[in-house]
Amino acid sequence: MNAAQTLRERSEAEASRLPPLLARAEHLAGTVLLGDHGRRRSGLGDDFWQYRPAQIGDSRRMIDHRRSARGDQQFVREREWQIAQSIMLWVDQGASMRFASDKALPTKADRARLLGLATAILLVRGGERVGLTGTTLPPRRGNAQIIRLAQAWSEDSQADYAPPEHRAMIPHARAVFVSDFLGPLDEVELALTKAADRGVRGVLLQVLDPSEESFPYTGRTIFESVGGTARHETLKAADLRDRYLDRLAARKDALTQLCRATGWQMGLHHTDDSAQSALLWLYRALDGGVQ
Amino acid sequence: MTVLAGIGFSAPWLLLGLLTLPILWLILRAVPPAPIRRLFPAVTLLLGLKDDESVSDRTPWWLLLLRMLAAAAIIIGLAGPVLNPSRDETGSGPLLLVLDASWAGATRWSSTLDQIDAQLTEAGRAGRPVSILRLTEPEPTVFQAAEAWRGRLPGLTPAPWQPTEAQIDQTLAALDQVDGGFDTHWFSDRLSFGGHDRLISALQARGGVTVYQSAAPVTAILPATYQDGAIQLSVLRANPGPAQTVTVLAQGRDPAGAMRVLQSTQLEFESGSAQAQIDLALPSELRARITRFELQGERSAGAVTLTDDSLRRREVALIAGTLNREGLELLSPLHYLTQVLIPTADFVEGGLAEVLPANPDVIVLADVAKLSDSEQAGVIEWVEQGGLLLRFAGPRMAASDLGRDTEDALLPVRLRSGGRSVGGAMSWGEAKGLAPFPETSPFYGLEIPGDVSVTTQVMAQPDPNLADRVIASLSDGTPLVTRKALGLGQVVLFHVTADAEWSSLPLSGLFVEMLDRLAVASAAKSRQEAQMQGTVWEPVQILDGFGTLTDAGTLAGVDGVELVSGQIGPDLRPGLYESGKQKLARNVLAEDTVLSPPIWPADVPIRGQETSAETPLAGLLLSLALVLLTIDVIASLALSGRLGLARATAVALGALLIVPDAKAQAPDDTDLALNATQELVLAHVLTGDAQVDEIALAGLRGLVQTLHYRTSVEPADPIGVDLERDELAFFPLLYWPITPDQPQPSAEAYAKLNAYLRSGGMILFDTRDADIAGFGASSPNGRKLQQLAGPLNIPSLEPVPRDHVLTRTFYLLQDFPGRYSGTEVWVEAAPPDAEQIEGMPFRNLNDNVTPVVIGGNDWAGAWAVDGNGQALLPVGRGYAGERQRELAHRFGVNLVMHVLTGNYKSDQVHVPALLDRLGQ
Repeated sequence: MNAAQTLRERSEAEASRLPPLLARAEHLAGTVLLGDHGRRRSGLGDDFWQYRPAQIGDSRRMIDHRRSARGDQQFVREREWQIAQSIMLWVDQGASMRFASDKALPTKADRARLLGLATAILLVRGGERVGLTGTTLPPRRGNAQIIRLAQAWSEDSQADYAPPEHRAMIPHARAVFVSDFLGPLDEVELALTKAADRGVRGVLLQVLDPSEESFPYTGRTIFESVGGTARHETLKAADLRDRYLDRLAARKDALTQLCRATGWQMGLHHTDDSAQSALLWLYRALDGGVQ
Repeated sequence: MTVLAGIGFSAPWLLLGLLTLPILWLILRAVPPAPIRRLFPAVTLLLGLKDDESVSDRTPWWLLLLRMLAAAAIIIGLAGPVLNPSRDETGSGPLLLVLDASWAGATRWSSTLDQIDAQLTEAGRAGRPVSILRLTEPEPTVFQAAEAWRGRLPGLTPAPWQPTEAQIDQTLAALDQVDGGFDTHWFSDRLSFGGHDRLISALQARGGVTVYQSAAPVTAILPATYQDGAIQLSVLRANPGPAQTVTVLAQGRDPAGAMRVLQSTQLEFESGSAQAQIDLALPSELRARITRFELQGERSAGAVTLTDDSLRRREVALIAGTLNREGLELLSPLHYLTQVLIPTADFVEGGLAEVLPANPDVIVLADVAKLSDSEQAGVIEWVEQGGLLLRFAGPRMAASDLGRDTEDALLPVRLRSGGRSVGGAMSWGEAKGLAPFPETSPFYGLEIPGDVSVTTQVMAQPDPNLADRVIASLSDGTPLVTRKALGLGQVVLFHVTADAEWSSLPLSGLFVEMLDRLAVASAAKSRQEAQMQGTVWEPVQILDGFGTLTDAGTLAGVDGVELVSGQIGPDLRPGLYESGKQKLARNVLAEDTVLSPPIWPADVPIRGQETSAETPLAGLLLSLALVLLTIDVIASLALSGRLGLARATAVALGALLIVPDAKAQAPDDTDLALNATQELVLAHVLTGDAQVDEIALAGLRGLVQTLHYRTSVEPADPIGVDLERDELAFFPLLYWPITPDQPQPSAEAYAKLNAYLRSGGMILFDTRDADIAGFGASSPNGRKLQQLAGPLNIPSLEPVPRDHVLTRTFYLLQDFPGRYSGTEVWVEAAPPDAEQIEGMPFRNLNDNVTPVVIGGNDWAGAWAVDGNGQALLPVGRGYAGERQRELAHRFGVNLVMHVLTGNYKSDQVHVPALLDRLGQ
């Protein structure tokens, strides 16, 4: 079997994973739009731009009934954005994210991608340009970009702890970093300071598994990272709990300090919490930033 | 081998390994449990953290205990434990093996022999000289090498008696001949006998005595007696223990002459009682056939009791010359005879002509002088075949000319006219008494009471053979009873009347005994010594110790008194004895026998005879260890939180440990019911011949296909049914191919089949041999069909008539070929009153579906298709063959239509009338 064929097969397999992720993300985004976060408030870009016939994929909410009632066709009233914002997303694809302490819980990577994609959908609906940090997927608008994003996130990275991508940041754009931030802190620091240098502000969402918060282990244990690069053996895991929790708190503290220094916002999400609350927080945080 | 509490070890030193267990305990305790690997992304935060102290987590105590047990089981298992090891107690010096060798031990004789064999082997190893002494057949004691005795072991059999006092004396005398001491092993049958104590003290004087006796109880059956219309059976046991149930089998010949169990009955020993009793009321026909009663499960002479004439009630026909007059019972000439015979005989009522066909044992003619010619001939024929004709004289006989000039065939002697009267008022002389019976007389030995007198008698003509024929005479020498043989039977004449007119003989007990001796009255009461006085009985068949009847061979005859009252022993063997026409059974147990267990002196060790077989326990213990270790694995996994893995392991181990039952559970009945009832389903009977079954299934599949294409009947896939297991009620049609070797269905299956036929089912029998045989019993299949269909409830059959509804239920057919064509097809016969009505094309035939269709055309073969719908088997040749197959299919369609619609098409008989009424 040649390489092209395997690639094709793999991408088919990957593609088959897309729709569920997309659908879930759409679903999640829909719930947010139901709230008071419509773009239909007065302000910049609220002007009428044009009517266009409703297309497949348009939400019913977008249909302008006043116009549509005149005929059999349904129209969507589009408003003009005069300033479109670029928002760059970075979701940790590292091996450490592929962890769930319980079968009933989603892995951290799953939750992070879901949140990232839902945010992207919301932003695209709002007319923003969305892309990935780095050079792989520059910000664009339109539904096709969502699919590209989903595609990009369906590939796992081999690295145990992936460092935040900080290259090719567009000045004065927005950024969203989603990760567990358990890797080396200086990489994060580097990325954030670099972003601050370019005037990029944004949101940092830490996704943690509940077991990482509670450390419910006892007995003789060998702890291994998911990628297998780091391991630590202890005879009495229970004894480590307090010191571990101290260190975790210190890590969070350091991240918060970093954000404060660079003007970013710091959020924390646990995989056993509802994704919607995290999405709400994320959207509000971005909203605030956009204004 | 070292023995501890019944368990021996082949390698006891290995048990020292148990000492290592505490050390193992300490070691296992100290070793920390295996670490658990966990994925933890936040391990980066842990790096560099040190444990406070290096303290190992303790293994839970119960896990340790489990492991200790496993280790102990392995050590003990390897030490080779054996339950009930054979103990070798090698003594020295000569060894005497004493065997009761009576019937009581016959049931367990083979195990006794095994044990003796083992002891002989042991003694041979130890070089001890051995002698075997059977108390029931004592022989001089000779000590020989054990090997010499082993060769003679198979020849040792138990005797059907208990050791008698005389035999004990003989034994003691034989023992006195032996010099020096010896050890004794006594294999007792658990019954005491006379002289037991003497023998044991004599043996104890010579050396150590060990008794081996079985724990199994000794049971025996007493002779059956007949009383008040029922057979009384009693079973004894030697050791009254808890309640026990024994089964008594009554064996005898069935009407076909084969020995079989005619009746089996259960007796209950109450707790603590030594005897159980039951009254068995049986029809006299059945009772007369019983030859022996035996205890089920016992194989000894004591568990068998033979029956003789005493159980058999003889059938006696009483015929008097004068009619009974009402109110004059005591004057009836038959009154005394009736009184004598009532307790022991059945009467056959009626005149001679009616009585003769009933073939009674005895016909009594009281004062009957003249028989008609046909009666005479009938009676002669009956006597010649073994009947006993008993005649009594009387006024009519005396007055007639019977046997006057020539000897009558039915009289032993010629008679003088008139008879004589003595001791009366008008005669000279005294009434005569009886003379002592001569030795040749069957009455020899009977005591003659003094008050028997004869006043009148008929007189015999002095012929040359008169002396031979007299079996009882008066004191003056004139004959009182004469007898002659006629063919296989005999004719006996009492020269007096059967009532008290002519003599006081019928009033005396002697009369009863004489009738008894003549086998007119069979002894229901136990035979008295007096009755047996002077008789000699010849053994016919004798019992051996195991309770088997064997031919008596040349054994000498036995005196009658000895026979009833003597002790069973080598000179008086239990069995069947015969004297003249009478049969007497002498059983091992007499009616007053009591079984009692032997009492042994306290210093005699008693061993159970059952050698509990050596049971090696190593395998058991090692498997236990394996199981414990398996539990340990699972428990350890559970402790380390990896029970998910443990579950898989447990399943795998379970699969390894538990050998799966090869035969999967039988498919559920409900499955069949569901399959058979969701749609119409045709079925065939599974014959057990895979090929035939396959063709039958394929044939039905083909038929189903045809039905689908051509009719609105759309059955589901056919099913093969097992007559024994499956419910038949779901199937409208059963196709039953006949193979010569298919098993006969059980009675339950036949009940099911009959119910099926009654409720409207149809069976198509196919002998599949029309190519080689005309239908009938001429082929193996045909014969098998007859066997199979015998118990079925099938009405009378006829070949399919031309107007049978089967010829037109769907297609119009006149013959019904399958793979073969030719033989006739049989269906239920039309009622005899069916007739063709004028103008109607058909008779109005059966109202019902014919329950069977029988033929031999191998229809399934013609219908059979493979998975692709292609015909499996060739039919005929070329186009004609295909035509034949087509006709076979049409027959199938017609058959199914017939089953489903019944006589619907038969109603067409009314079509002309209907058309007429419609005015067309």
